[in-house]
Amino acid sequence: MLRIDRRLLQNVDWALLAAACALVLISVMTLATLSVGRAGGVVALRQAVWFGVGLLALVAVASLDYRRFVRAAPALYLLGLGALALVWVVGRSVSGARRWIVLGPLSVQPSELFKVCFVLMAVWVITSRGAQPMGRTTLAMTLPIAAVPFVLIIKQPDLGTALLLFPVLMVLLVGAGLRLRVLGGAVATGLAALPLAWLVLKDYQRERILVFLDPVRDPLGSAYNVIQAKIAIGSGQFLGKGVAGATQSQLAFLPERHTDFIFAVFAETWGFVGCLVLLTCYLLLLLRGFDIAGSAREPVGRLVALGMTALLAVQVVINVGMVTGLLPVVGIPLPLMSYGGSSMLASLVAIGLLLSVRMRQFQ
Amino acid sequence: MNPVFGHRGMPGRRDAAERRVMAIAVVVTAVFVIIVGQLWYLQVLEGGRFLDASDKNRIRIRPIAAPRGILFDRHGTPLVDNRPAFTLSLIPRELPRESASRDAVLGRVASLLRIPYQELQDAVARVQLDSFLPVRVRRGLTLGDVAKVEEWKLELPGVIAEVEPQRVYPTSRFAAHLLGYVREANDDQLRQGRYRRGEMVGQSGLERLLDDYLRGQDGGERIEVDAMGRPVRVIQQSEPHAGAQVITTVDRRIQEATERAMEGNAGAAVVMDPRNGDLLAMVSTPAFALDRFTETIDRNAWLRVVQDPRFPLMNRAVQGQYAPASIFKILVAAAGLQEGSITPADSTHCTGEFRLGNATFRDWKEGGHGTVDLKRAIMHSCNIYFYQAGLKVGVATLLRYASAFGFGASTGIELQGEKFGLVPRPARRGWPLGETVNLSIGQGPVLVTPTQVARFMAAVANGGVLWRPRIVQRIERPDGGLLYSDAGQVNGHVELSPIVWEFLRRSLWAAVNDGGTGAGARIPGLDIAGKTGTAQIIGKSKAALGQDHAWFAAFAPVKDPEVVVVVLAERGGKGGEVAAPIARQILNAIFFEKVAAIEIGG
Repeated sequence: MLRIDRRLLQNVDWALLAAACALVLISVMTLATLSVGRAGGVVALRQAVWFGVGLLALVAVASLDYRRFVRAAPALYLLGLGALALVWVVGRSVSGARRWIVLGPLSVQPSELFKVCFVLMAVWVITSRGAQPMGRTTLAMTLPIAAVPFVLIIKQPDLGTALLLFPVLMVLLVGAGLRLRVLGGAVATGLAALPLAWLVLKDYQRERILVFLDPVRDPLGSAYNVIQAKIAIGSGQFLGKGVAGATQSQLAFLPERHTDFIFAVFAETWGFVGCLVLLTCYLLLLLRGFDIAGSAREPVGRLVALGMTALLAVQVVINVGMVTGLLPVVGIPLPLMSYGGSSMLASLVAIGLLLSVRMRQFQ
Repeated sequence: MNPVFGHRGMPGRRDAAERRVMAIAVVVTAVFVIIVGQLWYLQVLEGGRFLDASDKNRIRIRPIAAPRGILFDRHGTPLVDNRPAFTLSLIPRELPRESASRDAVLGRVASLLRIPYQELQDAVARVQLDSFLPVRVRRGLTLGDVAKVEEWKLELPGVIAEVEPQRVYPTSRFAAHLLGYVREANDDQLRQGRYRRGEMVGQSGLERLLDDYLRGQDGGERIEVDAMGRPVRVIQQSEPHAGAQVITTVDRRIQEATERAMEGNAGAAVVMDPRNGDLLAMVSTPAFALDRFTETIDRNAWLRVVQDPRFPLMNRAVQGQYAPASIFKILVAAAGLQEGSITPADSTHCTGEFRLGNATFRDWKEGGHGTVDLKRAIMHSCNIYFYQAGLKVGVATLLRYASAFGFGASTGIELQGEKFGLVPRPARRGWPLGETVNLSIGQGPVLVTPTQVARFMAAVANGGVLWRPRIVQRIERPDGGLLYSDAGQVNGHVELSPIVWEFLRRSLWAAVNDGGTGAGARIPGLDIAGKTGTAQIIGKSKAALGQDHAWFAAFAPVKDPEVVVVVLAERGGKGGEVAAPIARQILNAIFFEKVAAIEIGG
């Protein structure tokens, strides 16, 4: 079936893979410590299984030429939009948010996988003939690609994922050579339209932003998450409290500790030193991604690599920024760390595409 | 070589696109540096504070109040007991740190339990905000209140309904003055620094005297809880240590009987064992309701008690000072006989009047008692006889004997606030004879307390031994270890010839049993010796008639006396008519079995 070129195998970016595997290992370990003495050891196991599934997907994606994915981008994108719309019809609601589609024993979060489709679609548009040269036209062509899913996703509601689309698109446009002045104008226009967005936001989303601006606004309500996360991270101090001593996590003071706030669990357990190790893994992963983009021979490969790296980078930055209190709380998982099959799969597919670009850069 | 960018194909030749990617990578790296900076701030710079906060999250303090020591009577019957009661406490350290959310919690408590908000504010304002020690805000919570606190506990951090043993009394006024009331430490006591705010402290009587023994040591637990407030494990535990047990000399049965007998009168009654000075009962009326003080008492109720013109808080047995009246005649007789100034054979014809210079002194009985000797004078309490006897003995000797019998000085009783009464200094010059005449019948410038009279009467009964009134026999730790014991103490001795003692006892027996003024105390089958006294209120007008203080002091049985009973009824009237029947009732209760046996035996 697949013809594996020896040349391709030689160019596998082992450092990138190693960083990703290290992060998943840390994730499984952290999830396992959370379930000590509880009936939740399943969570760590499931994460490991999803990693296995994701690894297969990664190999499959890497062995294919990324250009085939870009060519298929419009179809994938429309499929993704369809899935997002389907969430509305058959979606499962968890704590007020309709984000999942149930497929037998699995529940899939289409918005996670859609992120990858979105990047491919953006690359397809930017590198299309009509979009040349880079300028306002390009901008006008790409913005709807983000705007349509933005509306669909924000209605789920999933503010975090929806907001993610724009910075990723910005990175792609900058990478493709759009002049910063043009982009700056668009961003300014966007900011000017922000009050309009305020109208679209749900009450709880507005509350979260207000709470970010003033954390003691409601210590038992929305700010609870941020306060508890800061306490968890801070109390880890330099060397961490260890698994048994991580009371914020173990005694459930920390909310969403398997998913969005897993970084705080890790920080409480392993302290500043542990955080440095974790962040180093992420930085290594991202810099490898940027290197793949930088050393790509042709624009499509470069933009695919840049887009995938940006996708991961923006998620890491927003998640860690939110958990450490630098940014408002928007529900975004930490790639490769947070528990969740869709997110794991999406991240590994993105890495698979990075590998695919790398492996073919010398062809 | 840059290890991360090691794959770069042609070093040195970067095209524009690569530079753009590099720039983005630099931006991302810079953001990572910012994140690391934030982590440094949270974990290293502020780490200690957050560690504190995480401990505060997970550790709950559950105070366990120590039960106050129990006071027992001489037979081991409890005089007071404890029962579990619920107290609303605030634990300052667990309250929210920010004043706005702390106020919100207090506001919630105020509206849930209908406690004035200001009261909660004040309670918190006066303590250190990081204190682990509970501030007890309100005692006597109902079960409904407790349920509310439990139901809302997640919204009420730092607020607990604590089980605290509380005093319970046989009746609300039982031995009120002797036991004393227990109440939260007042501002003065807090200033001394020995007590914590909200702590229960004995404020009067034995509860105050023995507070250090009775007060136990509170214990507590530190519990780790999860985010739902469910206890996970006990981190640290210190057992409460109950207060010591006090075995008093009081006999609960006699105390109760004495209180019953005193009902309706203002005054005092003291029952003492003349063989060792043990106080068997001590009653002061009107009494106050002990349990009213234990719980939160509002200002008006407090003022009603404090400003009551009948002074219910005053322990008249040791703090009431009265003229001894005719009781003093015993002392005059004792002094006269011992000094040889008078003999039992000396007799006087009493016409009801006695002239000294221009002044006329009257007897209490119109027309007088006719011819009386000393014994009859004591029996009938003849004033005229004693006017003369007093003059014969002389004021200096009378005062010397008064002092010797312990008047005008402390009895050594351990209760606080004892008054010493008054025995004037014997002045050689400037002492009007009229004063001596008055003194001879216990009027004029001499004042005594009922307890002093009891001790005096005990000395008459036991042949001159002045015992320090003993209330506390011993104090034991809950495990039985002895902390304190009092074997009794003699703190005075009056040397009189045995024949004098014998004469006094016989005369006093006759006063009760042979048609004397003390006939009202007579109990067939029981040999009671006693003396009445009627202390006149100065300025005897018609309105004040019948407003005299009535005394009766007795001991029984005359042979080998076992008890002394002293009764004082303020503004009761004549001693023989008011005080003697009260004493009779008390003695009847004490010797109930003996009396019954004699009655049945015929």
